Amino acid sequence: MEVADVSRFLAETTPFDQLSDSELSQLSAQINVFYCQAQGKVRIDSDRLLIVRTGIFSLYSDQQQLLTKLQSGDFYGYQQLLTGLVDNDTLLCEEDGLIYYLDAKAFHQCRYQYKNIDIFFQRLFSRRLHQYRDQQQNTRFTLKISDIIQQHKIAIAPEKTVQDAAKLMSDSRVSSLLVEEKDKLVGIITDRDLRNRVLAEGLPASTQVGHVMTRQPHSIDRHAYLYEAVQQMSQHNIHHLPVLEHGVCCAMISATDIIRSQQDHPVYLIGEIHRQQSVAGLERCSQQIAALAITLNKQQVPAHEAGHVITTITDALTQRLIYLAKQQLGEPPCVFSWLAFGSQARMDQSLNADQDNALLLEKEPIGAVEDYFSALAEFVCHGLAQCGITLCPGNIMATNPELRLSLKGWSGRFTRWIATPTPEAILKSSIFFDLRVIDGSKGLFNALQQDILQRTTGAPLFLYHLAQAALQRTAPLGLFKNFILEQDGKYKKGLDLKKRGISLLTDLVRVYALSAGITEVNTRRRLQQLAAQGIIDSKDSQNINDAFDLMAQLRWEKHQRDLMQGHDVSNLLDPVDMSGLARHQLKDGFAVINEAQGRLKQRFCRDM
Amino acid sequence: MINWWWRQKNLTDNVVTGFASTVLPAGNSLVEQSNFLALDLELTGLNPSKDYIVSIGWVPIRQQEIVLAEAKHYLINSPISVGQSAIYHGLHDNQLKQGIDIKTVLTELLRQYAGYVFVAHHSKLDEQFLRVACKRSFGKAPRFKFVDTMQVEWQRLLRQGKVVKHDALKLSSCLQRHGLPVMPNHHALEDAYSCALLLLSQLRLGGNNMTLADLYLLSR
Repeated sequence: MEVADVSRFLAETTPFDQLSDSELSQLSAQINVFYCQAQGKVRIDSDRLLIVRTGIFSLYSDQQQLLTKLQSGDFYGYQQLLTGLVDNDTLLCEEDGLIYYLDAKAFHQCRYQYKNIDIFFQRLFSRRLHQYRDQQQNTRFTLKISDIIQQHKIAIAPEKTVQDAAKLMSDSRVSSLLVEEKDKLVGIITDRDLRNRVLAEGLPASTQVGHVMTRQPHSIDRHAYLYEAVQQMSQHNIHHLPVLEHGVCCAMISATDIIRSQQDHPVYLIGEIHRQQSVAGLERCSQQIAALAITLNKQQVPAHEAGHVITTITDALTQRLIYLAKQQLGEPPCVFSWLAFGSQARMDQSLNADQDNALLLEKEPIGAVEDYFSALAEFVCHGLAQCGITLCPGNIMATNPELRLSLKGWSGRFTRWIATPTPEAILKSSIFFDLRVIDGSKGLFNALQQDILQRTTGAPLFLYHLAQAALQRTAPLGLFKNFILEQDGKYKKGLDLKKRGISLLTDLVRVYALSAGITEVNTRRRLQQLAAQGIIDSKDSQNINDAFDLMAQLRWEKHQRDLMQGHDVSNLLDPVDMSGLARHQLKDGFAVINEAQGRLKQRFCRDM
Repeated sequence: MINWWWRQKNLTDNVVTGFASTVLPAGNSLVEQSNFLALDLELTGLNPSKDYIVSIGWVPIRQQEIVLAEAKHYLINSPISVGQSAIYHGLHDNQLKQGIDIKTVLTELLRQYAGYVFVAHHSKLDEQFLRVACKRSFGKAPRFKFVDTMQVEWQRLLRQGKVVKHDALKLSSCLQRHGLPVMPNHHALEDAYSCALLLLSQLRLGGNNMTLADLYLLSR
């Protein structure tokens, strides 16, 4: 005899939703129901399929590592049922709930009878395999500097002779040395320096290292990605980079180190970009981006890292275009910074991003200065467009004279937005508050950023309007936790992962970051900073981060599917194309947005 | 004829005495090791001496798991019309004509679930009707050991110092309070299942070392 509630639930649960009523009632009659209370341990020792009906359960490995959370419609035990191998996992109840157990016989019968159900569980199993596989295995494409550098650094004092340096190099079998004075990095010296600056110049072996070393070398943070090192080396045409940790030098990384670690890294594209001598060459390079994206996806690089890679490529294209422009136009009449806004600034660019850039100039844009930078902007923006990064439909580009301003001009612009924040102005301008310098002077940019942050931290009215703007759109979740689908002219119905998901979180996190004067613009790093400074509860920060990652991941995968099927890349995801698992997680993610928006409202929109 | 009568009497005696002589688990045994049978009756009215059972649903709980494979639901052919009670349980006389004999159902119940602690929501009514039905069928009725989830809920709320409104003890209100999914719909099996869920939740709230005696105390 079936219980209606049980068969009703199974009828709504993938993969059982494909069974007929009579099959469902047969299946539901073979279920045992167990009630579990928070903190309680769930029996998983038996040879049964566990189906979560209600509640939340955390799955821990035998090393007490949290593997995943299970909730309504999730399964456990199929691993053991499929392979016969026993996991020593623990399932802990976090929120009171009901569990259905289906015994092995009924499970197998169901699997043999219905191919689709069998396939569903096989897929679930293989996904679980790669999900929890040792993380070391697939980090090849996103290695960090810290993953490949030697632990000990080899340094020499500037007053030592070049002969000492040569001896130390050959003893340690390295091609370069850090030069340190009282534990402080003052320069580097390479074997090429010994050749070019000592031997070729006929200097004696007693020449002091400090005399021939490269002073104030470029450096890179120990936690940066490897491809960022490639990027810097290519950009400045150097082969050695001192590695810093918390501003203190800890090692040296050379081009050879990188090549050794990544023989076939697709991000060599960046190196390739920096070697191009024409826009046409850059265009050829950019045609490899889609293929690179697919490779990254095949390697299961998480979306946020892939976004970082894509952004770095856009940065490289921009830098090279500026280089080429300078070759054509001559040296610029004054110092400038090339700025990026929006997703490029946040380093979470996707494949369908358009341009958002501007120029910050040392001098007022009049006369010759204006002529030069107008030409430069024209060259770079159209070059980028040729490379597939489409022109901004909102004209937020350096080609727009309103976006080629001096420090004073920009500062005045931002001050106006902050001091008299009309809702429309805020809505339009919120994109400008995520900005990053891509090329040119960092100092000039830092001055502007400091200026902006100083103004935003003490501006409750501005933050109020910014928060209001961030709250204008809500997650597409209905009253009964159902998805609200959107219609698009070209594509059918779906969930707009960007407009109703990722952007909401980006906007929300920006308000907090600006209120706290945080210089980071990347959403994940902003969240880390906010949690570190205690501005957001660390658990909330983690939740937002998870929701953000999830939606970014779903969008990334959607883009991949579009690419492979030869469609235009779209942010609209039809829930039907999602696995039951992903659907639940996405609903959860949307719920996180709702909660976070509630807190944002409380924090910034209360006293007004 | 006498023989036939004697054999029948013996058989029915066996059902009742067999049930009555099966020892229930001791009061100090842990609830998680005890077997329960959640059951629910639908009736033609509320008076045990005039009204009849029209349907019965039950589901056993063993080792704290509701065993749906043994869930049962029977329609019973009642000697009187369902009358106005149909508006509650939605069963009509013509459906019940195809129902089975109460004696058959009771025999199965008493044979299969001797030694089980019976559970019902507002169990007093169900117990009275079961006893009357047994008397009508077998000439005598065994003592049933019932746990009343309504009573347990009442005691639980009282101990928390809450004011208990009348509505608060309805099965649907209890399920809601415990965050349980089912909406009862006056269907004997559905309600028995809901009652089983409620009991499991109440047992978990009673802590790890709850004994049957503790439960009986709550159920008074």
